[in-house]
Amino acid sequence: MNELKDPRKTFGEAVIEAAEKNPNVVVLSADSSSGSGLGAFPERFPDRHFEFGIMEQGVIGFASGLATTGKIPVFAAIAPFVTARPFEMFRNDLGYMNQNVKVVGRCAGLTYDQLGSTHHSIDDVAIIRTIPGVTIFNPGDPVTIRKAVHAMINHTGPCYMKIGSPKMPVLYPEDVTFTTGRGIVMKEGSDVTLVGTGTVLSKAVAAAGLLEKSGISVRLIDIHTVKPLDRDLILKAARETGRIVTVEEHFIAGGLGSAIAELCSQEYPVKMKMIGIGDFYASNGPYEELLGKYGLQPEQIKDTVIKFLST
Amino acid sequence: MDQLELLNLEFTALKIRRHILRLIRAGEAGHVGGALSSVEIVTALYFNIMNNDPSNPRWPERDRFVLSAGHKCLVLYAALAERGYFDLSILDTYGALDSPVPGHPNMHKLPGVETNTGALGHGLSIAGGMALGIRMDKSPARVFVLMGDGELAEGSNWEAAAAASMHKIENILVFVDRNQLQISGPTTKVMNYEPLEERWRSFGWSVRTIDGHDFNSIISNARELPFEKGKPSVIIADTIKSKGLSFAERKVNYHYWKATPEEMTRAEQDLDEIENSLKKKLKSITGNE
Repeated sequence: MNELKDPRKTFGEAVIEAAEKNPNVVVLSADSSSGSGLGAFPERFPDRHFEFGIMEQGVIGFASGLATTGKIPVFAAIAPFVTARPFEMFRNDLGYMNQNVKVVGRCAGLTYDQLGSTHHSIDDVAIIRTIPGVTIFNPGDPVTIRKAVHAMINHTGPCYMKIGSPKMPVLYPEDVTFTTGRGIVMKEGSDVTLVGTGTVLSKAVAAAGLLEKSGISVRLIDIHTVKPLDRDLILKAARETGRIVTVEEHFIAGGLGSAIAELCSQEYPVKMKMIGIGDFYASNGPYEELLGKYGLQPEQIKDTVIKFLST
Repeated sequence: MDQLELLNLEFTALKIRRHILRLIRAGEAGHVGGALSSVEIVTALYFNIMNNDPSNPRWPERDRFVLSAGHKCLVLYAALAERGYFDLSILDTYGALDSPVPGHPNMHKLPGVETNTGALGHGLSIAGGMALGIRMDKSPARVFVLMGDGELAEGSNWEAAAAASMHKIENILVFVDRNQLQISGPTTKVMNYEPLEERWRSFGWSVRTIDGHDFNSIISNARELPFEKGKPSVIIADTIKSKGLSFAERKVNYHYWKATPEEMTRAEQDLDEIENSLKKKLKSITGNE
């Protein structure tokens, strides 16, 4: 059994590490720092933490302005409130102005399980992906969350990163190589490629293990940077395995599956299956049960892949 | 400020108005009403109040100008060109494919432009962030913001206004160009935010009201920034929409002007008249032409 770690705590510790190294890192809060694992930041750096209360649109603008003076603002809050709500501010003040601001949507996907669709964020990748120049990180374990934070701070330009809320299993050794825009092949295989991202990466890992036991050779890829997409790695997998299945806690519309389909349909068409949320509002309930409702548990992913391979 | 200095600014304002007509001539249309109502404010900023260096537009200690009402960009382009940020001939590209002077300003296309505005209700937050960053750097720079009165209906402005007050941002001065008109009609009829003074004051700002065409008033007030210790400052500038064009002043249908040749001729005659009266003033001061 893999060790479980709190993604928000991991994120917050990584931001403090980055802020120790880089004096330009500042944190903006929409009454959201403590819930984002950044509760210790204002005590450690009182002059580099700005509280704004619940006004996410305005915070994005303030972050943009701070970035014009060389600061590296990090703004973390509940995912839909930093993406869907202030979308125009994200697009104009960060994207269009190409500002070095790091927006982090936490409790993303369905991880705010009971709170319902206002608090789920299963459209964030779709909408932020349309903004030119924004790098999107969706790390799938605590080790890569920490590495993604440092990569994001070291990258010049607007970034969006999403993290979940329940404890998540450690999938990687501490010395795993993390490169922005480069996926990680977690397992080689030749019958089918399974591509996972973010909070459900561990489900894809478990599904790959079940498929191997059924005699299916699975290539497992972690796309921790959804944009820019690792084109070479995906096209190589398309050529070598001929089929791709994507697994994401996101609408099928516009997410990682869509990004891969946009690439493959033009460069190397292969049969694809996208596992995610359909064209409806997700329900509410215990997180693991919600994932099960939408086919995102390992056994379900395995069955979907087997059925897909028979078509 | 002596009379000659003032007159000099009035001559500069006239040049800015002529550049605005030049832009309209190139593009055949543009948001002229709000550009002309704010000519004196923008002229005072770029030719008297702000510390800036056209040869070094990204100088870290520079004062910033944020045009929150991005559709007033004609006045910004005219002022930047006249100040020497780029060649005046750039103005003739307005409306052309890939022009560096688009219908709303783009910082990546033109030196001197600080922000990409156009969608209303963004500028004040961005300016607030600039002011915070400048304060962290212990720089003497200040941030000047131009907003429209119609723009104030965007709720995001009031998020920014509250935050600027909460964070005691002193190095910011907002001008609200109260020309009282927006596309659909009088601002008080479309969405009434009057009395503006009380609204801003209730958000924690120090407020003054002036004649937005009076250089003396604009400059003497701006020099007193911050108006009160620990508070952000705002000037409600009463102005006349389309100021300078007799046929268009205070008329709502000149918010966006698609200029006919006849109107353009009249506009030039109006500016010629202003020039004649300024020359007379100059003569009365100096005794020379």
